[in-house]
Amino acid sequence: MRKPTTFSLILMYAVLVIAVLIAVYPVWFTALASVRPGQRLLTTKLVSMFVPTEITWDNFNQLLFENAFPLWLKNSLFVAGLTTIFCVSLATSGAFAFSRFKFVGREALLILFLAINAFPGILSLIPITQILRTLGLFGTHWGLIFAYSAGTLVFTTWNLKGYFDTIPIDLEEAAMIDGASPIQAFIQIALPLARPALAVTALFGFLAGWNEYIMALVMLPGKENMWTLPVGLVSLAGSHSVPWGLFAAGALLISVPTLIVFLSMQSYLESGLTVGGVKG
Amino acid sequence: MSTSYKGWKKAAIVLLFILPTLVSVTLISLYPIFYNVYISLTNRSRFHYAPPDNIWNCTTDVMGKYCFQSPLLANYADLFGPLVTPESLVSWFKLLLLLVPIVAVYYLERRARRKSLSKPETWWWWLLGLLGSGLIWVVLDVNAAIEQLMNTGDFFIVMFRTFLYVLACMPFFVFFGGLLALILNNKYIKAKGAWRTILILPWAVPNYITAEIWKFFFQEQGTINQLLGLVGLTGPAWLQSDLTAFIAVVIINIWLSYPFFMTIILGALQAIPQDQYEAADVDGATWWQTLTRITIPLLRPAVMPAIVLSSITTFQMFNTVWLVTNGGPIRGAGKPGATEFVMIHAYKMFRTDNYSASGAYAVVVFLLLFAATMISLQMTNITKGATE
Repeated sequence: MRKPTTFSLILMYAVLVIAVLIAVYPVWFTALASVRPGQRLLTTKLVSMFVPTEITWDNFNQLLFENAFPLWLKNSLFVAGLTTIFCVSLATSGAFAFSRFKFVGREALLILFLAINAFPGILSLIPITQILRTLGLFGTHWGLIFAYSAGTLVFTTWNLKGYFDTIPIDLEEAAMIDGASPIQAFIQIALPLARPALAVTALFGFLAGWNEYIMALVMLPGKENMWTLPVGLVSLAGSHSVPWGLFAAGALLISVPTLIVFLSMQSYLESGLTVGGVKG
Repeated sequence: MSTSYKGWKKAAIVLLFILPTLVSVTLISLYPIFYNVYISLTNRSRFHYAPPDNIWNCTTDVMGKYCFQSPLLANYADLFGPLVTPESLVSWFKLLLLLVPIVAVYYLERRARRKSLSKPETWWWWLLGLLGSGLIWVVLDVNAAIEQLMNTGDFFIVMFRTFLYVLACMPFFVFFGGLLALILNNKYIKAKGAWRTILILPWAVPNYITAEIWKFFFQEQGTINQLLGLVGLTGPAWLQSDLTAFIAVVIINIWLSYPFFMTIILGALQAIPQDQYEAADVDGATWWQTLTRITIPLLRPAVMPAIVLSSITTFQMFNTVWLVTNGGPIRGAGKPGATEFVMIHAYKMFRTDNYSASGAYAVVVFLLLFAATMISLQMTNITKGATE
């Protein structure tokens, strides 16, 4: 790659700076609102639109110590954590079979998975409620965990399988000659190599559990102490005069774990997202 | 592949590994589809809410209970009926003719690529194809055809708008994602990790939160108009009129989605062998030539699937648009609002207890999207190697 001219370097940095401003401003705006006294989003003072002029920690105090927030946090951690675990283990086992064995109906199943992705999920709420009631899981966190894990499986299985396919089977075959069973060979050799794709799977599982709103609202009716964070937070924003400062503080607190997870897995994201079989 | 397992033992192992996935997908994803197909064949609604005593032997006129429609596909006929009258069929035909030049160019290009070893310069073919479509548009008065179809009812209007939405979003996703990825892939840019980390932010923040914030930004007294006021402009009441509300949800979606494309394209860029660029440098290729002859062709296999996937999710956009506009602004009683896209329309039907109609709608959307997925898979060869 040739060294770019000074002019084009400046141009590139300018684009980056503008992009960063646009990317960050809505989040920064939320942060400003969370420490501004007076529960409002709107500020007519120009300066307060960009930098904090008065700072109060009341919103965070109220949220963490006078609210059901810590309880919702605990619920969300439980749901998102277990969804991650289920999602990774189920998708790995399924993708292993799809990638390493040829069997009758394999292609049909993979296409069926793609087809399912095309169904409008919003209209699945009633039938999923039915299923969870039948299984006795309705109104419990376990029901949510089950629904979230299964819901993400379609994408994660495809993605993982796409990644497994790029790992040469020869490595495993060499281990099998040394006496390992195909499953042992896979676990010992292919799985460690598939770390980026496993990380992406975990990320999708976590996000499914941490961010989902509508299903959580429908599946945990009227049980405030069982709510997950999104349900609780939106209930704040849904009240008649919205305590925007409180909402903003909650929004920030919810975003922190997602940000940490995202940023720590960022290098994996680029290589682990195969989007249906093509690895760049 | 794994050759050491054979016969029943292999079958048992495959089943063992695949069963948990199959069972959960069947219960949580597959059953709802069948359920919706079933409901779409009945007259279930606010007035017919409970299951009948015997579904095989009932009538649709019993209050409080639903039954199979007669004819069975009545709900589908309601959706499609006005779209298959002779007049509408002519309009459809005109719309189809629009695609002819573009499809022709696609096939010509493919043939040319196969025949010659060097890649022919084909961008002007596409220009010609688009011009041809434009000509057909004017000659056949496609505007009038669309107008006619619009008058057939909600189904076409909502579908049409959703298509427009996807078409409006995609080029921006690819452009901004690609632009930032290209910059970040330049090895003379400093602190890449930091830039990348910050730029991915919109993807990482839960979207029901950002939706609330953006909704506030686009209010008449909101942040965007405040900022416009700084430079002496008076911004519109964004969410109150059709076009600006549409533009607002496009802008929000670009903000939400460019990080995904940036990530995918960056990943693909890093996989392009450096020697290709070095060879181009030696040959004295310009920056533009390098971009169009090396980078873009090599990015295609990674970007096309991303576009397909993202088109489908955009088509199914619900959360953000619902929270920002509620599908509005309202355009009169019983008419779909200006940003009432497919999912929002289905959800609204569902909320007004129109279960069987929303079920039929969902099934139609499902079939359309599935067909679109399969066609684009074939065209982009995503599954090449994946299902073999």
